[in-house]
Amino acid sequence: MTATGTTAQRPARPSAAREFVASVVTIMVKELRSRMRGRRAFIVLTVYLGILALITYGVYVIVAPNAQGITGGGGIGGFGGPANASALIGQSIFTLLSIFQLILICFIAPAFTAGQISLEREKQTLDLLISTPMRPGAIVIGKLAAALAFVVLMIVAAIPITAIVLMYGGASVDDIVRQQLVLLATALGLGAIGLFFSALLKRTQAATVLTYITVLALTIGTTMLFIFWSVVANQTEGGFGAGAQKRAPEVLMYVNPGVAMLDVVSNTEPGGFGGISGTLAQLRGNAPDFGANVECIGNECRPVDQFGEPVDDVAETGSGYWWPRVSLTFVLIAAVLTLAATRLVVPAGMRWAFRRPAPPRRLAPTTGPAGNLVDDSSPVIQELNEEPDR
Amino acid sequence: MMTATPVVETRGLVKRYGDHLAVAGVDLLVGPGEIYGLVGPNGAGKTTTMKILATLLAPTAGEAFVTGIPVGADPLEVRRRIGYMPDFYGVYDDLRVWEYLDFFARCYGVPANRRATMIGELLEIVGLTEKRDEYVETLSRGMRQRLCLAHTLVHDPALLILDEPASGLDPRARVEMREILRELRSMGKTILVSSHILPELGEMCTGVAIIDRGRLLRSGSIDEIERSLRATALLRIELLGDEDAITAASEWLGTDSRIADVLGGTRSSDGAIRIEASFDGPPEAQADLLRAMVEAGHRVVGFSHATSDLEEIFLKVTGQIDEEAAA
Repeated sequence: MTATGTTAQRPARPSAAREFVASVVTIMVKELRSRMRGRRAFIVLTVYLGILALITYGVYVIVAPNAQGITGGGGIGGFGGPANASALIGQSIFTLLSIFQLILICFIAPAFTAGQISLEREKQTLDLLISTPMRPGAIVIGKLAAALAFVVLMIVAAIPITAIVLMYGGASVDDIVRQQLVLLATALGLGAIGLFFSALLKRTQAATVLTYITVLALTIGTTMLFIFWSVVANQTEGGFGAGAQKRAPEVLMYVNPGVAMLDVVSNTEPGGFGGISGTLAQLRGNAPDFGANVECIGNECRPVDQFGEPVDDVAETGSGYWWPRVSLTFVLIAAVLTLAATRLVVPAGMRWAFRRPAPPRRLAPTTGPAGNLVDDSSPVIQELNEEPDR
Repeated sequence: MMTATPVVETRGLVKRYGDHLAVAGVDLLVGPGEIYGLVGPNGAGKTTTMKILATLLAPTAGEAFVTGIPVGADPLEVRRRIGYMPDFYGVYDDLRVWEYLDFFARCYGVPANRRATMIGELLEIVGLTEKRDEYVETLSRGMRQRLCLAHTLVHDPALLILDEPASGLDPRARVEMREILRELRSMGKTILVSSHILPELGEMCTGVAIIDRGRLLRSGSIDEIERSLRATALLRIELLGDEDAITAASEWLGTDSRIADVLGGTRSSDGAIRIEASFDGPPEAQADLLRAMVEAGHRVVGFSHATSDLEEIFLKVTGQIDEEAAA
């Protein structure tokens, strides 16, 4: 039903893939034409970048005068001095920028997609759209891509602001790349959630509300559940903080974009941002104290426990971080929900018809005038039969 | 053997929504180049039938073919061959007129080098050339209707399915719409068009199907349908007199075996009372009836045919079925 499904195994119709892509592009062109028209898009982007610029400036104003003092006493990594003060400024800016950007994206991405299909229903344009020979999957993907294109523009447009941290140090290009990946994956996942509800529900309002409830559940909800679960689990063992703890299943946090972003900002090179990292580690349960127990070989740092052994859970994913898992989860969520939305767009009762071009039970009546009728149009029918079942 | 594949064929088409039977076994046969009208009151099943043909609904039972292709089996192929205009639809109001058509042309995979000229031609046909760069939201209702009609043509389909294309239009816009449909027919399009008003279609349709409550009541050319009903004439008889005289006249008429039923007694402004009676007989018999009536002492001041227009045919057909159902 999707592009990948139809392309590879359909030599009889080599244009199917191109057709699919053309349909996606068609939807995107139309959506972007109306979205980017007028001042709305311009204003949204300006406000977004303005907020981020203000945050950057605000952090600088607050942190800069104190950075010397904080780092002067042999602080993070034991370096101290002006160089480290600069890194602290950079890290602070990077951290706050990343978190704010994530929060903004969490609000913006669903807002752009939650009306994509229900609005067409409300404005009675959906019938016109789905009575075209475009595949439903192409329509849905085009809608998602168009909505995300603008979000991607916002995310990418903020790179120059983020890049200011490169001047101060404390975060590297790698960190910015990671931050971008997390933001993009989040936008994709949350956008797909909005699109799914938009396809599921008749009213845009209901779709929007449900989408935001889901976003809250994924961020704040999972965090609270995780903490609550862990506390309960530990109470039976004699209290939180008593030795190696039981904790809630880690998978719970794989759907939490906040964790991914905290993971990115707390593991900036070199050494990471102690405070948040500690909290995050507490949440994970393996409690590596990045401030004190970090083993650096050259530019590579990894957390170690009290005995100088690398911390297992962190070590096992190479860089040992959660952001790839969370990002991957969001990509998977997006794929599943896009498929689901596709099925919802197809008229009820016709879903099977789009999967199998020529189901035997409806084809070729052999008697009566219509039998002749079908024979007369044999080229068409042949074409039908030639179409292999994907 | 058939000489040409019918553009539309349905056999025993049924669509059920829960307990409600929206379409109850409709058989249609529309040949190439026809303008075929689906007529029926609101809720008769016209829209449902059209949606099934437009691959937007799956029938509960029965089969539908468009240019010989089973609608359920290959909706995408069917869609390439039809242009569909729903009864209610919205437009993307933040697009310009040409962008709107360009969008749909892309949807149907019209190559880029053909799109520009084709949009110009379509705007010419529907008379919106000057509105090319206007926003769709600024168009009047009639213009939007014509724009929507233009959008059904972007891929040069064999069949147009137009659901109430003239609804909500002022008389002038209706005439314009009719002219456009004629022109499209001369271009070789087959058109399936619906209306709840028969006269609107009468003049241009080559064939008509009258549908009520999901059932196909009559189908054929308007002449055929009219002829099948012409045998009975609706007589309008105006009488002078009081209530008793009217009752007497009605009873007298009722005794005649050729009179199917008597609808009685509306008093007109000049004091005469009007009775309508459907009479089964040629003009000579009608003249005899008048003479006999006068001789019987009824004070007849008017004796005429109630004008038999398409609207009336329609009412007759749907009314007759009611009686059959009641009997």
